Amino acid sequence: MINCNCIVQANQFSADTEMALRDKLTAFAEHAFGEPADITWRVIPKNSGFTAARPSVSSIILVSANRPLPQSERAMLLEQMCTLWASETQQSLNEVVGVISDPQA
Amino acid sequence: MPLYLCNTTRGAINDDAKRKIAADITRIHCDVTGAPAQFVHAFFVENDTAPPLGDKTAVLFATIRAGRTEDQKARIIAEMQDSVRTHAALDSDAVGMITADVPASWAFEGGEVMPEPGEEAEWLKRHHRSESGD
Repeated sequence: MINCNCIVQANQFSADTEMALRDKLTAFAEHAFGEPADITWRVIPKNSGFTAARPSVSSIILVSANRPLPQSERAMLLEQMCTLWASETQQSLNEVVGVISDPQA
Repeated sequence: MPLYLCNTTRGAINDDAKRKIAADITRIHCDVTGAPAQFVHAFFVENDTAPPLGDKTAVLFATIRAGRTEDQKARIIAEMQDSVRTHAALDSDAVGMITADVPASWAFEGGEVMPEPGEEAEWLKRHHRSESGD
């Protein structure tokens, strides 16, 4: 399983959008890494998320790869992942942060 | 990135204090590293599993771009712990903090891979943003 930690703001997305994102991230993980995603969905409570010291509308997606990635592949996967998220949520890419980390040594 | 995630016991930090601590986190990070404010995310959760609280009332976990010096990280930890202690009225030993380095090349923000520390100007220019956070 590919660990995928999604951090979103309270009341940012409907249950339908969350479900669609979970489905798309699972498909992404299977396509990119050959394994489904084990998704942790963390909601930042109201009045508890800040970006640049202002109320945040940012979403953060943290994914742990199951193999070391060449940077060219990582960049492509990061773009795919953040774009699928922005497309589903109607967020700007300025509001989406993605991280794909290599396995820990 | 950076992402500062503060986990506390329930009710330990009220909304007004969160706002002040987030402002301090942003200011301190930018002062110490020179990074633009729009990169700085400060999120608060309660009784979450991560970062683990152990015997602390508040633990701040910082995921920052690799390349910061040990002196920079020590200053970030000291000043941010002090901010949490002050605004949440906590004892000095009630606040913990951990930092973790993540290579900039592993992160994607604003539609592209993040710049290395100190190389933000071109990134900001492409995004038509000013370093004041506008």
